Amino acid sequence: MKRDLFRVSVFRLSGAAMAFGFLSGYVQAEPMQSEDAFLQSFPVVLSASRLSQPQADAPNAVTVIDRDMIVASGFRNIADLFRLVPGMYVSYYKGAQPIVSYHGSTDQYARRMQVMIDGRSVYLPPLSMVEWSNFPITLNDIERIEVIRGPAAASHGANSLQGVISIITRDAGGLDGQTVSFTRGDKGVNDVSAHFGRRGEVLDYRMTLAYTADNGYDDLKTVPNNLLAAIPMAANVLNNSNDSNQARMVNFRANYHPDDVDSVDMQFGLSHDKQGVGFSDSRANPMHDLVADSSFLQLQWLRQLGDASELKFSYSHSGQSQDEDFMLVTAPFAGHRVIQSVDVQRDEIEMQHMLPVGDAHRLVYGAGWRRDRTTAQGYTTAMLLFALPVNYGSSLSQDEYRLFAHDEWRISPAFLLNTGGMLERDRMGRSSVSPRVSLNVYLNPQHSVRMGMSVAHRTPSLVEERFQSVPQPGHLFIPDPAVTSPGLVPERVVSREVGYLAEFLDWDASLDIRVFSDQIGNGIYVSAGRFMNGISSRYYGTEATLKSLLGKDGELTINFSHQRASSNVVALAGLAGDVLVGSIPRISASVLYSQRLENDLVFSAAYYHQDAMQPYDRGPTDFQPAQDRADVRLAKTFKLETGINGEVSWVIQNLFNNSYTEYIVNNLSNRRSHVNLTLNW
Amino acid sequence: MIRELKIRFAGLVLLAALLPTSAWAESTRVSIMLSDTGAAYTAFDSALRKSLAGIAQFTTHDVAADTSWTSDAADLIIAVGMKATEAALGRTDVPVLAVMVPKAGYEALLGRGSSQQRLKPTSAIYINQPWLRQIDFIRVVLPRRSKIGVLYSPVVVQRELDDMRAAATARGMKLHTHQVSSPESLFATLDTLLNDDEVLLAIPDSAIYNPGNMRNILLSSYRARIPLVGISQAYVTAGALGAVYSSPEQLAHQSAGMVRSFAKSGDLPGVRYPEDFSVAVNLQVARSLGIGLASQEEIRTRMIEYGEGMR
Repeated sequence: MKRDLFRVSVFRLSGAAMAFGFLSGYVQAEPMQSEDAFLQSFPVVLSASRLSQPQADAPNAVTVIDRDMIVASGFRNIADLFRLVPGMYVSYYKGAQPIVSYHGSTDQYARRMQVMIDGRSVYLPPLSMVEWSNFPITLNDIERIEVIRGPAAASHGANSLQGVISIITRDAGGLDGQTVSFTRGDKGVNDVSAHFGRRGEVLDYRMTLAYTADNGYDDLKTVPNNLLAAIPMAANVLNNSNDSNQARMVNFRANYHPDDVDSVDMQFGLSHDKQGVGFSDSRANPMHDLVADSSFLQLQWLRQLGDASELKFSYSHSGQSQDEDFMLVTAPFAGHRVIQSVDVQRDEIEMQHMLPVGDAHRLVYGAGWRRDRTTAQGYTTAMLLFALPVNYGSSLSQDEYRLFAHDEWRISPAFLLNTGGMLERDRMGRSSVSPRVSLNVYLNPQHSVRMGMSVAHRTPSLVEERFQSVPQPGHLFIPDPAVTSPGLVPERVVSREVGYLAEFLDWDASLDIRVFSDQIGNGIYVSAGRFMNGISSRYYGTEATLKSLLGKDGELTINFSHQRASSNVVALAGLAGDVLVGSIPRISASVLYSQRLENDLVFSAAYYHQDAMQPYDRGPTDFQPAQDRADVRLAKTFKLETGINGEVSWVIQNLFNNSYTEYIVNNLSNRRSHVNLTLNW
Repeated sequence: MIRELKIRFAGLVLLAALLPTSAWAESTRVSIMLSDTGAAYTAFDSALRKSLAGIAQFTTHDVAADTSWTSDAADLIIAVGMKATEAALGRTDVPVLAVMVPKAGYEALLGRGSSQQRLKPTSAIYINQPWLRQIDFIRVVLPRRSKIGVLYSPVVVQRELDDMRAAATARGMKLHTHQVSSPESLFATLDTLLNDDEVLLAIPDSAIYNPGNMRNILLSSYRARIPLVGISQAYVTAGALGAVYSSPEQLAHQSAGMVRSFAKSGDLPGVRYPEDFSVAVNLQVARSLGIGLASQEEIRTRMIEYGEGMR
């Protein structure tokens, strides 16, 4: 194939043929001397599905975290990146179990947001969670992340009640060469990765092999300053961190594009992860290891039907399993062994057709099917103490169907109307319609206003639907086949927003402001050991992002969020005080600044603030005080004569050692740092 | 031969002076030689015939199909493309107007031609746009970007690169040229360019810009959010932000003017770049990159105004 890599014209001229030694042997002519270069045709490369929608045209507020921001942030974990999204809450249940949530839902099951990698949903309703630590991708594999702030059920289906995180990995052709990266740092940080890839005329591919490890949070040795000594002592939370993480992964992506019309994308990945879980003061969930495995295979066929019409078929299979095997150590269960596992296998098919209708409309419609099979089982002799069988388990197979359509109507240069909807039949057999309408008004090319309204639903999670009211040890949730929760219906959100987007060309700056109000009805809560509908809550506030390019070499991003909540939980029996109001940080903000300096140096700094809050499902011991954290990164790039390019970087997180705890009181974060060496050739 | 030719031209000029315009011109016999029967060539052929209908007599030949052809019966040969130009210059003594030829190719062909060839009236309308026009396009479409990156393979002559740089400098912009020294180093070189420059300007170099490479060139530059400025409508269809080019019709119109001039004077005006040009932009790509664009016609008007203002 190499002969064809540099296509040569048939026109024969010999004048300067010796000038290009590298082509000698197969070159017959100087391409610049034939008119062919002006007359050749090319396939449509940047088709509608490859182009990201500009923010000013989007029906929702969108935050984009691109590669430059990922690098500048200095973060090692994907979840931490969402600290750069206004209004988003990032914490960890354990060091290896991130929580990413938006507008309330600040608990370990961030169940109101959809998370996708390359269009493949990685939110697992059966487990009611996203296994952030167990994605078979590294930060280096990510091209960009788009976060839709606000419901997008009309385009992304159930569970995108409050937002959608869409992680877009690098194309198969995103890397041409080899890269190796080594990171070492405090708290056992030890990451190694190797990436390699090739771009070709008809086939591109890339591959990643990686190992990441760290020891989670710092050890809590003194009483946090917001607590009286007696409280954490009584809760026995000091020195309570078994939260290390070791993950090994591999992923591969190839794209075959034999002609101008078809391209086939194939991806697979595997991840094997060992996480420290459990608590020293827990009788049923002592410190132990949890082994998580995940895998996926994704095939996507894209067919170009015309200049702007495209057909896309995708199939994916994902598997996720978690296993634990440990001894209970505290009376009255001491000496009993627990063996448990949960396995979810998902198959998904989607067809989508994108086409222009006339000059002003762009229509997308399609259909999808998904099957989740959950198999869970456990064994522990401790069950005998409750006069229950030592073996328990369940096996469920659930199907979902969806039909969706979306129209983008450019009514005039000043008006863009997005309308869309999704009809779904969920796993519990209920049908729901999620419509959305939004109008973008362009006051001039630089200023636009967006007004939108949408309705979205969330199917109860498996935990909520099949909650096992009998005691169950360990970390995993084993659904109870006998429980069906009749009468439990999906949560419903009605969302309204007004957004303003402005570009200030003179300052190379843009501003994105949004005022929102999300009214959640049929909110699910626990009462007397059962999940029920009944909470009505409202989340409202303002979010803003200011971005400024400081010349070609600098960039500044400032995010701000002010949010409030109100609900009826006080009136509902069994709930004392409006826990929803206290469960969101009223103000959160982040600043990310990066600057290229002389001598191949790059400097970046970030600052994160979050007001104090009470995590939704934790008690007062775990009150989370205000957080202020500054991170800095300094990197130097170099070129070796052997053709190797490299970069050395040093990241200090929580530079001022402003120690804070989050979500659970023993999740303590002090200053820490890591260094990285990356070589590519 | 040359003597005969001169006598014939003298007669023609005399005739032209005596007769009404339409009468003298009809006697101009134009032979159109096409390098190929592709759409661009035939579009040129029919546009030229249309604009000189009733003024000149035409015969059309496909060089590829008719290799032994000679043209004794024509007053002027219009050679469309390099293959036709090479054949026309080599085989006859009839004056030749080469069109749709790249500047570098035409110059190389003349450079190695015999002195006899050079004696007959010969001229050309290049297919290339003048560098200043390309730079003006970037100025108008991307007023905030001043670092232009150019990829070139070793076939590109140094003088062309110097001309490009001079044109950019004349408009207060910086143009960096990045040599792609081997096919394997294309993407590494492109990555360097995308890191350093703000717009990628394509040049007619099919060692780099060919259907096999185009996909990854466009995807890489889009990822880096660096727009590609192409040299034809095909680039724009594929995903380039825009291009300045002259259509076969526009080139035919300019050629017709040169035929008229030839009919009057018996001589051909000097070689030149296309006068009339079109602008193509990809609105979807522009929108996605957050680049606000005026209409194609307005861009064209602004380019002309800007170019005139800089004179």
